[in-house]
Amino acid sequence: MEDWKRGRAMFATVAAAPLTWLTLFFIIPMAVVWLYSFGTNRGLTDIDISGTLVNYQRALEPLYLGIFAKSLVVAGITTVICLVVGFPVALAIVFSTDRWKPWLLLAIMLPFWTNLLIRTYALMAVLRTEGYANQSIGWLHDRFGSIMPLVGLPAPGAYEPMNLLYNNFAVILGLVYVHLPFMVLPLYAALDRLDRSLIEASLDLGAGHIRTLLAIVAPLAAPGIISGIIITFVPALGAYLTPDLLGGPDSQMIANVIERQFKRANDWPFGAALSFLLMYATFIAIAFQAVKAKQAERRG
Amino acid sequence: MSNLPNLNGITLADLKLGRRSLLQALGVAAVGISFGGLAACSKSGGGTAAGTGEEAKLNFYNWDTYIGETTLADFKAASGIEVNMSLFATNDELFAKLRAGNQGFDVIVPSNDFVERMTQSDLIVPLDHALIPNMKNIDPSFIDVAYDPGRKFSMPYTWLALGIGYRKSKVKARPDSWKVLFDSDEYKGRIALLSEAGDVFRLAGKYLGKSVNALTPEDIKVIEAMLIKQKPNIKAFHEDNGQDLLLSGEVDLVLEYNGDIAQAMTEDPDLDFVLPKEGGQLNSDTLCIPKGAPHPKNAHAFINNLLDAEVGKKISETILYPTPNAAAKALMPDSYKNNPVIFPAADLLAKCEYAAYNPKLQPLYEEAFTRVRAA
Amino acid sequence: MNLFRRKIPLAPLEYTRRTSMRIWVGLVLFFLYAPLVTLVAFSFNDSRRNIVWRGFTTKYYEKALNNESLMTALGNSITIAAIATVVSVVLGALAAVMLWRFRFPFKAAWEGALALPIVVPEICMGVAMLAFFAKLDLPQDLAWPLNLGQITIAHITFCFPFVTMVVRSRLSSFNREEEEAAKDLGATEWQALRDVLLPHMKPGLIAGALLAFTLSLDDFVITFFTSGPNTITFPVKVYSMVRFSVTPEVNAASAMVIALTVILTSLALKLQSRMGALAQGH
Repeated sequence: MEDWKRGRAMFATVAAAPLTWLTLFFIIPMAVVWLYSFGTNRGLTDIDISGTLVNYQRALEPLYLGIFAKSLVVAGITTVICLVVGFPVALAIVFSTDRWKPWLLLAIMLPFWTNLLIRTYALMAVLRTEGYANQSIGWLHDRFGSIMPLVGLPAPGAYEPMNLLYNNFAVILGLVYVHLPFMVLPLYAALDRLDRSLIEASLDLGAGHIRTLLAIVAPLAAPGIISGIIITFVPALGAYLTPDLLGGPDSQMIANVIERQFKRANDWPFGAALSFLLMYATFIAIAFQAVKAKQAERRG
Repeated sequence: MSNLPNLNGITLADLKLGRRSLLQALGVAAVGISFGGLAACSKSGGGTAAGTGEEAKLNFYNWDTYIGETTLADFKAASGIEVNMSLFATNDELFAKLRAGNQGFDVIVPSNDFVERMTQSDLIVPLDHALIPNMKNIDPSFIDVAYDPGRKFSMPYTWLALGIGYRKSKVKARPDSWKVLFDSDEYKGRIALLSEAGDVFRLAGKYLGKSVNALTPEDIKVIEAMLIKQKPNIKAFHEDNGQDLLLSGEVDLVLEYNGDIAQAMTEDPDLDFVLPKEGGQLNSDTLCIPKGAPHPKNAHAFINNLLDAEVGKKISETILYPTPNAAAKALMPDSYKNNPVIFPAADLLAKCEYAAYNPKLQPLYEEAFTRVRAA
Repeated sequence: MNLFRRKIPLAPLEYTRRTSMRIWVGLVLFFLYAPLVTLVAFSFNDSRRNIVWRGFTTKYYEKALNNESLMTALGNSITIAAIATVVSVVLGALAAVMLWRFRFPFKAAWEGALALPIVVPEICMGVAMLAFFAKLDLPQDLAWPLNLGQITIAHITFCFPFVTMVVRSRLSSFNREEEEAAKDLGATEWQALRDVLLPHMKPGLIAGALLAFTLSLDDFVITFFTSGPNTITFPVKVYSMVRFSVTPEVNAASAMVIALTVILTSLALKLQSRMGALAQGH
């Protein structure tokens, strides 16, 4: 890493556009909403920026902290499942031939170019009590049921359809369904065309594939895994549509609550406070990590 | 130029797939075709409408499937005004969006409680009744309503009632009390409620014998406890798609609007709708003109057109919602006029109320609902 | 090409050819595609709803194609997504290089700020954008595609940090010595950037572009708040259409998008491989 003063022209070239864009079209618009979080509702549409901390106080009540904690857990589970499911897929893409690579990438991405809402409704059709998942399992159940007496086992009872929808299981399944590419793509980006000689050396020296994977590939993929975790976990934390449509009576996540504040409750200051709590947490986590990295670099 | 189809709006008159929309649909234009020539054409509507003196355009912000098949085309033929219809999905979105400024809409269709909100927050303008002679077609009982006395700001377009939609073969008896939804484990795991805090709390209040507009914070606490107790029996809170849950057999009882169930009943005769004996809550969708509308005169002409008897009849034929337009209703067949789902019995309707917007209680409903769902 | 391939002993590394791996990928694809198969099947269903099968029909394709506003919305969405993707990749890659290469004042703060568009609840950013553009008071009735400018700006804003994240993780495996070597051989800073760094970034750029395109194509909330009466996108249209549940017409439109994507991508890949073959031949 070099100091910006040693390459001013280069620094200006790469920094000017993104930082200007971020300031102009994100920081400035968001500043207004940030001020709202210190505001009080006056009538239906006027917000008085009174500098009050009441909204934050309310946002830190156990009720909302509980929902926040639950959202963290749901997003965390989703991220872990995405990582476990997505890592082999990313490997398959990375180690496929040049001819197949674009097709595999396309095959993974194609479902995500169908509208999220339409896709979620399609998933619901599969998961319904009388949906295809239950129908297929029921069919298998009946087939195997008729075989079992032949081999001397008692026949099972009639198939009871499972409740696959309207519970937390459905929410996590739906979130995995929606966020899988957010994990696969960074992993692919980090691993593609990496130095294969290391892996070959490891295999030549007698290490098994699993050990090679853990000892050689995983460290190489670490930056990709971290960025994959961030861009899967964070959007999953902010999911509102999936819990709305697939969730049961208790599957509300923090984004659902935030959405209601901006819409039905018409309480923008409180919605802003809840939103900014999420943002403070992320900002601090990322900035803290950056400071750590800087310290590590200085020491090293 | 003025005959070119309006690029971005619904033009039911223009059923062909135009060259330009095809290009756009392919997104080809984005990747390097020079679109100078195309862009120059895309500002349509140069002429002025007869009678109003405004540019012959109108931006209509409506719900989906909430207009007759040919209504907009007929209006264009009659007045020369090209109606560009965009769609919104909930009142909240409409309100949140208009709150920060009108992006060019001329006619909007908010529900009654939002007419109140928008009147209070100065987002809609008073209507000029002289420009809406068809107001005479409206059933007199819809003129002096609490949410807009004398119809200063809004014209009624449809009305609807919240009740219980159910599957006939799966219930022991007609579920004619809110008890089955709010305070009973008779149909455990087969119930879906609307995911609207205010509606759920007000109707639970109705079950407890209170007026939907006279709940107190204490009542809300009582209802909250009742709903937390009831929650294990509830399968889902739905986003106004209760009729789908019924049709797919996912649940057997839903809290829904009569119009939605009436539409679903045409597909599945095993469904029915009941307005519970305790009474329910009425809603009405209305036509309003938002502040800053670029074509207010056209907007009045359009609203007047929608209230016409013949036009209203065609709209009702398509959307199957109860109409407040007496003249249009008179033209409708008996299967609509005498449908007990679309027009529930008068004695039951008499027990129903319009919910007024209450800025003090709304946040309480929301917070209590959040607690119910988190419990 | 063949020569090149023979040089590397591929056998132990052909993870893609291992049966266990294939089964895994197959299962994942099944999970991803099963709902889509339902979706396409129901686009042929002769019922207004996606619930019970009532016979085969293609009338919803006709209806979707003739629904000019739906087609226009689709066109708008693809146009916005295409522009937003290109700009996001450029901005995102620049930001990634900046964070990876330079030490500069308040770097930690900027790094944190660059992650905020990923975490901000959509509705919050939607409201912010709404208020922001209302204040700017830009003219509403610009010609297509300039009228999509507001939406595109908003999309770029929430897309490019994703690209930054992906590209930056790719850059961490870059070997600075290669760049130094290039410079020692007489390449200028810019040439080294173009010929050494950029090729290394390529997988990150591809992944970032795919992400940005997906995010932009699917966004509803922020688009809703930044769109006016003449700028409807596909998600905005679809969300307002499903008040009465998803109709087969919407399914038909989605099925056509899928088909179109496959066809266009195949053409592009064919073209690319042919150009590649030509280049190899010379």
